[in-house]
Amino acid sequence: MEQFLQQLLNGLAVGGIYALVALGYTMVYGVLKLINFAHGDLFTIGAYFGFTLLVSWNLSGLLPPVVAVLAVFIMVSLLVAIIGWVLERAAYRPLRNAGRLSAVVSALGASIFFENAIMLIYGARVYVYPDFLRPEFTISLWGMQVPAMRMLIIVASIALMLALWAFIQRTRMGAAIRAVAIDPGAAVLMGVNVDRVISIVFLIGPGLGGAAGLMVGIYYGQIDFLMGWTYGLKAFTAAILGGIGNIPGAMLGGFLLGVTEALAAGYIAMAWKDAVAFLVLILILIIRPTGILGERTADKL
Amino acid sequence: MFKFARVLAMAMFCVAVCGQAWAADIKIGLMCPLTGKWASEGLEMKNIVSLLVDETNARGGINGNKVQLVIEDDAGDPRTAALAAQKLASAGVVAAIGTYGSAVTEASQNIFDESEIVQIGTGSTSVRLTEKGMPLFFRTCPRDDAQGKSAANAIARGNFKKIALLHDNSSYAKGLADQTGQALEKAGIPVIFFDALTPGERDYTAILTKLKAADPDLVFYTGYYPETGMLLRQKKEMAWPVPMMGGDASNHQDLVKTAGKDAAAGYFFISPPLPQDLDSAEAAHFLESYKKAYSSTPVSIWGIMAGDAYKAIEAALAAGQTDSQKMGAWLKGMKDLPVLSGSLGFDAKGDRVGEFYRVYKVNKDGVFELQPAQVAQ
Repeated sequence: MEQFLQQLLNGLAVGGIYALVALGYTMVYGVLKLINFAHGDLFTIGAYFGFTLLVSWNLSGLLPPVVAVLAVFIMVSLLVAIIGWVLERAAYRPLRNAGRLSAVVSALGASIFFENAIMLIYGARVYVYPDFLRPEFTISLWGMQVPAMRMLIIVASIALMLALWAFIQRTRMGAAIRAVAIDPGAAVLMGVNVDRVISIVFLIGPGLGGAAGLMVGIYYGQIDFLMGWTYGLKAFTAAILGGIGNIPGAMLGGFLLGVTEALAAGYIAMAWKDAVAFLVLILILIIRPTGILGERTADKL
Repeated sequence: MFKFARVLAMAMFCVAVCGQAWAADIKIGLMCPLTGKWASEGLEMKNIVSLLVDETNARGGINGNKVQLVIEDDAGDPRTAALAAQKLASAGVVAAIGTYGSAVTEASQNIFDESEIVQIGTGSTSVRLTEKGMPLFFRTCPRDDAQGKSAANAIARGNFKKIALLHDNSSYAKGLADQTGQALEKAGIPVIFFDALTPGERDYTAILTKLKAADPDLVFYTGYYPETGMLLRQKKEMAWPVPMMGGDASNHQDLVKTAGKDAAAGYFFISPPLPQDLDSAEAAHFLESYKKAYSSTPVSIWGIMAGDAYKAIEAALAAGQTDSQKMGAWLKGMKDLPVLSGSLGFDAKGDRVGEFYRVYKVNKDGVFELQPAQVAQ
């Protein structure tokens, strides 16, 4: 039982990151019906920017660690959001009316561009975040030793997701985003500036992705230029699992995928954990082709 | 005029022939990659062997004969290596040292074998090179399958009883895990866990939780340092104090950076010793003269392997074995010759006997410390 709870918690921490990254996929899909394959690389860029700010610019030395980390969180989110915005302008807007396949190919190209750009700028070797940024203490929970950082990751990802949910549901801009998701043509007729909505989506999604990259960098310590590929693939899977285009679905999908992986590794076979996770995905898609929460196609986002 | 030229030519011919007969230099060949992608290893081989030859000659040569080193560049390329081997053979070397890269060495093997020249490989670890039954081929580097045996020996010496083997499904790491498992089985040490993780991930807590439930008293992860660092750190966060060991793929300082000094302390791995860590009397003397000659220290172990090969040939010649067949037979009987990397002997196949791998342990300051050598088992 203790092992089961431990694995559940392991899975939730991994799933929190998947969910944060999945939000970026699902939001973009909601408004553009486009799978932004470059999203995983924006996540990597977040991790590298965080490293540059904290280590190369020595913010972690100039400020107390907690302040430095918070400041860097905001700076990284903003910087990656700007890159997301530029990405949309450069790679997707010119292809808006060109059909979905062209846009997907453009997304793949952007992904390869980012990966290689990071490799050329930073080099192919692994970078390591300084370890004093990480609180060391652990919390005792039902007899388990849980590192405080893991709890913090789970809490921070849930908080960011709830903030996003509130933004979409409660604000005028959120309403505009929902309107574009349901019917872009009708939204234009209602006076919604569709280009502006899409730009906002491309600021929020990458911003969250960059924040997730920074979290992974600080907690796991090690970053490399291909890390976004694995996380991107898993997050994309999570988005589909929960029902792509649906924000609570992305959260649910992320946590579910993380927990499935942990339990598969713990109880079936470690080497087969990804296979088991994808088998679960296939089974769910056979039963519910639109994903777990993806049933109301008219009410995405 | 014509006559004078003929006389001159005859005189020159005579000088050339007689000159060779008088000097009676012993020619030893060195084949190494001086250009191409392995040029830095090759250059070190050249520097080290030249230095040792100079020392021999400064002492008055071998049994009164000067040693002359004939160096050929193989460029790290099998075709160039075949040409280099032919050049060495026609230069009349008694023995050849080299070379780096198993495929490159293999391209030269037949040429030396047919010319009846003793060849000692320096950086050619592929198992099949000594499985061909060539009587004159030796190597000073270990075989690819030696690491698993060394790992099992280290485990046995550490008195561990329940071993968990973990690899990353790469051919190198899986091979090492398989070989270690077989060697442990022979030694009667039970492997209670054998599985693979997915390299390139960040979170291995699910795997560690499962490992912990199996309750091993040693975890041997055979993969590379990025995952090792992550495993060590997450193991510490789980407050699980089980010792962990690794193979030579974890010999990288970034391991300590990723894991943190506290988590890395006590971790040990087996690896070829780094040149500056070599602790024999021969090595200390050699490193000093290397520094004097080239004002640097050798960085790769493969250059040291070339030095070891030269020492073996020198010993054979000093024992009067100038005929290549006899030299080959003598080398196969040779035991415990003090060389740069410890003591050297060969088995009947021409492979190096004795432990080549050494144990490194991470101390509390995150420094890799070479552990004292163990008697070969």
